[in-house]
Amino acid sequence: MGLIENGGFMIIGKTKCILLAACLLGLGTSAQAAPPKAEVIHWWTAGGESAAARALSQAYKAAGGAWVDTAVALGEQSRSVTINRIVGGNPPVAAQFNTSRQFVDLVEQDMLNNVDEVAIRNGWDQFLPETVLKAIKINGHYYAAPVDIHMPTWIWYSKAAFRKAGIASEPKSMDELFTALGKLKAAGLIPLAHGGQSWQESIIFTSVLANVGGKDLYLKVFRDHDKTAINSPAFKQVLTTYKRLRSFTDAGAPGRNWNDATAMLITGKAGVQIMGDWAKGEFSLAKQKAGEDFGCIAGFGSNSPYIIQGDVLVFPKTSNPEAIKAQKLLAAVTTSPATQIEFNIHKGSIPIRTDVDASKMDICAQQGLAIMKDKTRQVGNGEIFMTPDQNGALADILTAYWNTNIPVEKVQRDIASALSNN
Amino acid sequence: MNVAATPGQGKRMLTSPARVGVYAFLISAAAFFILPLYIMLVTSVKPMEEIQLGNIFALPVSFTIEPWRAAWGSACTGITCEGIRGGFVNSLAITIPSTILAILFGALNGYALSFWRPRGANLLFAILMAGAFIPVQVMIFPLVRILAMLGLFSSLPGIILVHLIFSMPVMTLLFRNYYTSMPQELFKAARIDGGSFLRIFFQLILPMSVPIVIVATIMQVTGVWNDYILGLIFAGRDNLPMTVQLNNVINTTTGVRLYNVNMAATILTSLVPLTIYFISGRWFIRGITAGAIKG
Amino acid sequence: MKTKPLRLSNTLTSWVALVPMALIVIIGYLGTVLWTLKISVSSSRTLPTHDFVGLTQYLRLFNNDRWLLSLHNIAIYGALFIIAAIVIGFLLAVFIDQKVKGEGLFRTIFLYPYAMSFVATGLVWQWMLNPEAGIQQAVRKAGFSDFHFDWIVDQDMVIYTIVIATLWQAAGLVMALMLSGLRGIDEEIWKAARIDGIPAWRVYISIILPMLTPAISTAFVLLSTAVIKLFDSVVAMTQGGPGIASEVPTKFIMDHLFGRANIALASAGSIVMLITVLALIAPYLYARSRATEHKGAE
Repeated sequence: MGLIENGGFMIIGKTKCILLAACLLGLGTSAQAAPPKAEVIHWWTAGGESAAARALSQAYKAAGGAWVDTAVALGEQSRSVTINRIVGGNPPVAAQFNTSRQFVDLVEQDMLNNVDEVAIRNGWDQFLPETVLKAIKINGHYYAAPVDIHMPTWIWYSKAAFRKAGIASEPKSMDELFTALGKLKAAGLIPLAHGGQSWQESIIFTSVLANVGGKDLYLKVFRDHDKTAINSPAFKQVLTTYKRLRSFTDAGAPGRNWNDATAMLITGKAGVQIMGDWAKGEFSLAKQKAGEDFGCIAGFGSNSPYIIQGDVLVFPKTSNPEAIKAQKLLAAVTTSPATQIEFNIHKGSIPIRTDVDASKMDICAQQGLAIMKDKTRQVGNGEIFMTPDQNGALADILTAYWNTNIPVEKVQRDIASALSNN
Repeated sequence: MNVAATPGQGKRMLTSPARVGVYAFLISAAAFFILPLYIMLVTSVKPMEEIQLGNIFALPVSFTIEPWRAAWGSACTGITCEGIRGGFVNSLAITIPSTILAILFGALNGYALSFWRPRGANLLFAILMAGAFIPVQVMIFPLVRILAMLGLFSSLPGIILVHLIFSMPVMTLLFRNYYTSMPQELFKAARIDGGSFLRIFFQLILPMSVPIVIVATIMQVTGVWNDYILGLIFAGRDNLPMTVQLNNVINTTTGVRLYNVNMAATILTSLVPLTIYFISGRWFIRGITAGAIKG
Repeated sequence: MKTKPLRLSNTLTSWVALVPMALIVIIGYLGTVLWTLKISVSSSRTLPTHDFVGLTQYLRLFNNDRWLLSLHNIAIYGALFIIAAIVIGFLLAVFIDQKVKGEGLFRTIFLYPYAMSFVATGLVWQWMLNPEAGIQQAVRKAGFSDFHFDWIVDQDMVIYTIVIATLWQAAGLVMALMLSGLRGIDEEIWKAARIDGIPAWRVYISIILPMLTPAISTAFVLLSTAVIKLFDSVVAMTQGGPGIASEVPTKFIMDHLFGRANIALASAGSIVMLITVLALIAPYLYARSRATEHKGAE
C-alpha cells in the first residue's frame, strides 16, 4: 500500500524534474531530486534494537528517503534531547516516543505536526489496535506513527530448571505458578529471577493485576482511577499476591539489571522471570531456543489480558516543506507491512498490524500476534492511561511496598491519592 | 616517628619501621583503589557466556580481545555499528579549547579577586560560588533558550561557552584560594616597579601558578572529556563527543548488555584523562614559590 | 611619581577582566535561578507554562516521601563523604610525599578512578557489593561463612555504599589538591622543624595542616558541590533503591524534570536545595572571605 504509492510518487517526482529546465541545465541540486532527509532521534542503540532501526532506515532509503541517525541511549535521555532541540529551535524531523501520554503536552502546546494525510490515506483506523489509536489520535488528529508493540509481562521459564525441580508442565494459573515457585525453592534454585529496579517491580505488579485482578479491575484502576476499585478487597488481593512473589526472589535482587536476571534463567540457576518480550534477545545471545530451552507464557487463562506498550515516531512542528515531505514519507514507510515484519523480527516485538505474514517470527511472537487478533484481550499498559507523573508516582509506591513493610491499606490509600493528581 | 637529624639529606628522613609503615599504608590503599579496575579488565577479556555465570573476580577461562576491538570499531551506537571511535575527534575539539579558556579565565578571575580586589568583586564571587551548587540539569532549559537567542545552540562555540559557564565557579575558586595563600611581597614589589595589571599576571603570577594549573587541568580535562549531558544537548549533531557513543554502547533499554564491550569502551574512553594525569606528574615538583622568593 | 594614573587604569583593567565573570554570573546563574523560581510557582509539565499556582508545588514536595528521604540521605552522605574524603586525601598526600619509590605509579593509581565514567564503574561497584555475586560471596567461599556485607540491599545501609564508591572516585583528586599545597611549602619550614627536633607527626599537625588551610578549604567547597550534585553514582549503583532507600535530591529533581514531565515540581525542589545550601554554606564562605581579606591586607 504505502510503499507502492510512495514509489509512484517518486517516479512522478522524477518525471517532473526531467521536464524542468533547471534539471536539464544541471543548476545545482534541484530540490525535487534531493531525497527527503529525515533526522531521527531515537534510543535504539544496542544489538537487536540497532538492527531493527537499521531495517527501518533501509526501508526508508528504499522508498527514496535519506535517514540521518541521531541515537541517544535511554528513553528519558533521548526524549529530553528531543524536547530541548524543539525548545532551542532546531528540531529533528522525527523523534521516538513511547506509545503513551508522553507527548500530549507537546501536542497541547502545538509543537507537533500531524500526519493525518498518511493516516487517512492508509486507513490506520482499520488495522491499528484501539489502544494504540487512543495514544496517537488526539483531538481527532494523528500525531504519531506507531512502530512496534511490546508486551512487558511475559512469564519466562527455564526448561532445565523446571526439569530439575520436577515441574512437569507449564503453570496455567497464578496458584499453579506459586506451586511451581515452591518446587523450585525446594530444589535449591532461585524461584523468581528479579532485578530490583522500580520499573521491573512495576512490571511484576502489572502482570499480577492482569492475571489476578482481571481486565475490568485493571481498567478501573489504571484508566479510570476509580477510588472504589482501588480500595476494594479484590485490589487488595492483587497487592498482597504481588508482595508474596517477593519471597521467591533472592537476596541479591535489588539493583540488578534485567539482563542479569535473565542470565540466571539461561544458566539454569533460576526458574522464572516476569519480563517483556525483549528478553528473547538475551536468550538468542546465549543461543537458546524458545520451546526447547525456555518457555514463554503470555498470561493465565484463555482470556488473560495482553498488555500493550510500544514505540512511536512523532514529528516536531516545522513549516519547511522538505521536512514535511520527509515526515509523511517516514510515517507511511514505518507502518507498511513489509517494514513492520523486518523491524519487529529484529526487535523481538510484534507488528502494529495483524495483516502481516508471521511465519518468519519466533513462536513466542507468533503466540502474541495470535492473541492480538482477539481484540477483547488487548489492554494498554500503565503509561497509555496515566501521565508520566502519575505513572512515576505509582511506581514509587509499588517499589516502596515491595521493599519495605507497609500495611496494604496504606498502599491502597496512597495509590488512590497518587492517581488523583494530574 | 622521629625526624632523624641527618644534614643535607632533604626534608624527610624517617627511620626504618616508619618507612615500612608508609609503604604498607600506600600498598593497602592501592589495593582498594585497584580492585574495581581489576574487575573491569578481567570482565573486558571474557566472552559473554563466562560473564553470565556471574563470577566477577574469576580470571578468564577463554581469554578474548574481541570486546576491545568491538568497543573501538564495531559496537552498535544506533544504526551505525562503528564503536566509539567516531566521537574521538569531536571530544578533542571540545576539550582543548574548553580547558585552555576555562583555566585562563579562572586564573584571571582569581588573580583579580585576590590581588587587586576591586569593589563589589567579592559579592560577584559569592554569587558565582552559589551557582556552583546548582545541578547542571536545572540550568539546561534556560540555557537552551539563551543560546538559541545568541544563535549558538547546537554548535561547537556553543558547547565551549556552556563548559566555560559551568566551570567558572570551580576554576575561579581554585586560583583565588591558591593566590591568597601566596605571599604578597612579590606582588607589591612588582607594583612598585610599575608593573601593570596584565604584565604582572603574565610575567609573575602565571609562571608561579604551575601546581594549581596542573590541578585545574586535571579537573577540567576530566570534567569536559567525561561530560555527557551538556555535549549531548548543546554540541549539535555533528559535534557529539565520545561520551555519547560510550553511553550508547553501555546503556540500553531493551537490548542485550555486552558487559565485556562496555568495560573495554569505558577504559578506552578514560585513556585521555589518564594520560594527562600521568604526564602531569613531572610538574608536581616542590619549591617553585620558595625558589622565587629566594631568587 | 606616575603611580596615580597608573593605579586608576589598573583598577579599570581589573574590572574589565572581570566582565566575563560578571556576565556569566548575572545571565547564566542569576537569570537561571530567577527562571527556576518562576517555574516553581507554575504548573508547568513537559514545557514551561506561564501560570501562577502559588506554593502548590512546594506543598506537594514536602508531602512526598521520596523527597523527604532524599534530604535525609544527602545530609548523612554529605557529612560522611566530605570528612572522609578530606582525611583520606590528606593522608594519601602526606604518605606519597615521603619520597617513596614509584610515587608516579601510586599517584596514578589513586587518581585513575576520577578519570573513569561512573556509568560503568558504578556497575562494577554494584557487582562487588552484591551479596550474591560480590565480596560477601567471595569471602564466604574463602572460608569465612559468617561474613556479612550486604549493605547495598539493606534499606538503612545502602547510603553508606554510595559513600564508599564515591570516596574511591574522589579521594585521588583531594590528594592532588593537598599534594600541590604540600609541595608549595617552603623547605625552610622543614629544616627549622628538624633543627628544633620536633617529631614528624607534630610537624604535620601543628604546622603543616594550618598552612594547608587554602587547599583544605578548596577541597571542602569542591566536595560540597559534588555532594549536592550527587546523581550519576546513585543511578549507576542502586537506581535510588532498594525501593526508594538511596534516593538523593538531584535524582529526584532530574526524574521529575524529564521522566515524569513535571518541571514545576523539579524547579521547586531545586529552589529548596539552593536555599538550604546557601543557608549552610554562606556563613562559612563569609567567614573565609573575611579571613583572607585580613590576611591579604597585611
